[in-house]
Amino acid sequence: MTPINVMSPSMKWMILSQSAMTFGAGVVFPFYLIFIKEIGGDFTEFGIAYGLFTLFSAFLNRLFGASSDRYGRKVFLVIGAWGTAFLFLLFPIATSIWQVYAFQIVLGAFGAMQKTCEKALIADMTEGGRRGELIGRYHFGVSLFSGAAVMAGGVLVDFFTLDLIFYIGSVVLFVGGLMLVRVKEGAV
Amino acid sequence: MKKPLLIGAILLYATAFAASLAIRASTPEGQTASDVSRLMSARVHEVIPVRSTSDIVKALEKARRNNLKIAISGARHSQGGQTFYPDAIVLDMKKYNRILNIDRANRTIRVQSGATWDDVQEAINPYGLAIRVMQSSNIFTIGGSISANAHGRDPREGPLIDTIDSFRLMRADGNVIQVSRTENAEWFPLVIGGYGLFGVVLDADIRLTADEMLEERTLKMGVERFPEYFAENVRDNPAVGLTIARLSTAPASFLKEMYVTNYVKATAPLPDNPPKLKEERAVELTKFLFGLSRKCDWGKNVSWTLQKRIFASENGTILSRNNAMRPEIEFLEYRDVQRTDLLQEYFILVNRFVPFIEGLGKIVRGSGLNLVNITVRYVPANTDATLSYAKEDSFALVLLFNHRRDSRGISQLERATQDMVDLALQQRGSYYLTYQLFPTPEQLNAAYPGAESFFQLKKKLDPDLLFMNEFYARYAP
Ligand SMILES: Cc1cc2nc3c(=O)[nH]c(=O)nc-3n(C[C@H](O)[C@H](O)[C@H](O)COP(=O)(O)OP(=O)(O)OC[C@H]3O[C@@H](n4cnc5c(N)ncnc54)[C@H](O)[C@@H]3O)c2cc1C
Repeated sequence: MTPINVMSPSMKWMILSQSAMTFGAGVVFPFYLIFIKEIGGDFTEFGIAYGLFTLFSAFLNRLFGASSDRYGRKVFLVIGAWGTAFLFLLFPIATSIWQVYAFQIVLGAFGAMQKTCEKALIADMTEGGRRGELIGRYHFGVSLFSGAAVMAGGVLVDFFTLDLIFYIGSVVLFVGGLMLVRVKEGAV
Repeated sequence: MKKPLLIGAILLYATAFAASLAIRASTPEGQTASDVSRLMSARVHEVIPVRSTSDIVKALEKARRNNLKIAISGARHSQGGQTFYPDAIVLDMKKYNRILNIDRANRTIRVQSGATWDDVQEAINPYGLAIRVMQSSNIFTIGGSISANAHGRDPREGPLIDTIDSFRLMRADGNVIQVSRTENAEWFPLVIGGYGLFGVVLDADIRLTADEMLEERTLKMGVERFPEYFAENVRDNPAVGLTIARLSTAPASFLKEMYVTNYVKATAPLPDNPPKLKEERAVELTKFLFGLSRKCDWGKNVSWTLQKRIFASENGTILSRNNAMRPEIEFLEYRDVQRTDLLQEYFILVNRFVPFIEGLGKIVRGSGLNLVNITVRYVPANTDATLSYAKEDSFALVLLFNHRRDSRGISQLERATQDMVDLALQQRGSYYLTYQLFPTPEQLNAAYPGAESFFQLKKKLDPDLLFMNEFYARYAP
């Protein structure tokens, strides 16, 4: 067994990749409301869009959870990251609220892949005795990035255009997906 | 994952990224323009930030080449699409803001049209000079103020046109002309108060006055006493430098009580080193009071009572004219997505003030509008501009409403506005063109006898209608 304070390379890549993914998503999501406003929506429409996202991921969590037991978690994590990265590229060219609804549904699916498989993979990669400590460190890294993302997003929106956060978010998500390639499933 | 698969994924992503950017870039029409009220907006062709005269020349050429219209925007505080038009090129003048010259001896300033009154104040304060006529606050641009022919709080001054010596104008054909009461005089009354429809004002020569020390004095009175009080104590009283009054909108004293604040010439002279310009202060408190009065009747009552204390504490304050002419404005910053603060302004003959207020009270109560505050200024008669609003000595009543932005809210407001304009017309008054476009064309013509010739001359001097905005589109015959 590896000493307690040495993390496996896989775990490090996992932290890096998931941090990138929280960053990529975090840079966009708090400012999503402004985007909906600009495209002509209001609070109701924001509620609908957000609700659609949550509902779809709710149902799909079960499906993807079970599938990941069969096909491996990594695949789903990569699809989730890259899928979201591609979708973010569509937001700047969206012209109506209906397109945004459609994107939200698909985003909900990718979100479900990410959420369920992230947890499952982390569980696979840690074991009983030091699981808590490792998960603590994992969340520490990931949360740092999500905080940084929200701040960065605010500054970007203030000084540049709203579209920019989608592009930046997209690139970061794509790179986050690339990093997953270095993660070995089941490696402790 | 296998290498080729990985490379394939990266290539695919890069292509998608490029495609998205390309599509984004090929739709510059995606820009929308709006104003501070966010009531109307339009998809415009593009917004060009103007920094130099050649930026304007290029923009006009581009517009002519591509058959596009030009709209001009300053600080965008007008509230009826005066600064935009669908698919037009919008010239954003805010960065075209240099102070070109200050003539201390003759007390004049030459300034580019995107500069704000704040910029002017910063430039002239060290010389002991002050602005003669400007709005109550200093956030507006010179170009926007000229185009609305703004007025202010100095009871001895008329509208802005009185203090404009001359200006340079870029016409639709790209030529620049000098315009004054003697040179190209035909343009003078059209451009001032002409809402950007005759060309781009490049820079203007504006008359200033001496800065001086003023003492703030506020008193409370019943609304029906105000016209008499004003005639006896303010209008012909050379000691009053600035004056403004506020009417109660609190249910307990709705349109019955008012505070009148006069800035009276202080005995102390202006120090050799003029007082520094103050920055916004106590904004949080005013913002909070304002928030309260927007929300509910109870808030209006509390706010009205608290204002009494604030005024009492400020009574006797001595400050320079420059500082008196930069009151806080940030309380008006309002970001609620569903509601908006809307201003309207009615010009009412001095002796028709009381009947107008009575009629106004009925309309507001009957329509359920949320009237947050009313302020009153004085404008002496002036008909120099073709679209002059005060044909006789008038009180200018500025009404602030807080209202829903949805379509039901807007049509409710539209009906009430038409009623208020009718009321003003019955009292031989008029209304300000810089706000919403709710009044009908008939009402515009009744309030502005010069409107017909204004629109005719527009067609003559800008036959291709290059300069265009929502105001023209709504009212031109
Ligand atoms: C909170 C508030 C308080 C106000 N108080 C007062 C007051 O006390 N007294 C008063 O008279 N008015 C008052 N107003 C109205 C205000 O003066 C006008 O709306 C004024 O036009 C705003 O100036 P702006 O720089 O925002 O102009 P904008 O709204 O940007 O433009 C107004 C018009 O000017 C034209 N324009 C702008 N720049 C140029 C240029 N360089 N050349 C040619 N045309 C140009 C535009 O095309 C447009 O038609 C107030 C408005 C608000 C919102």
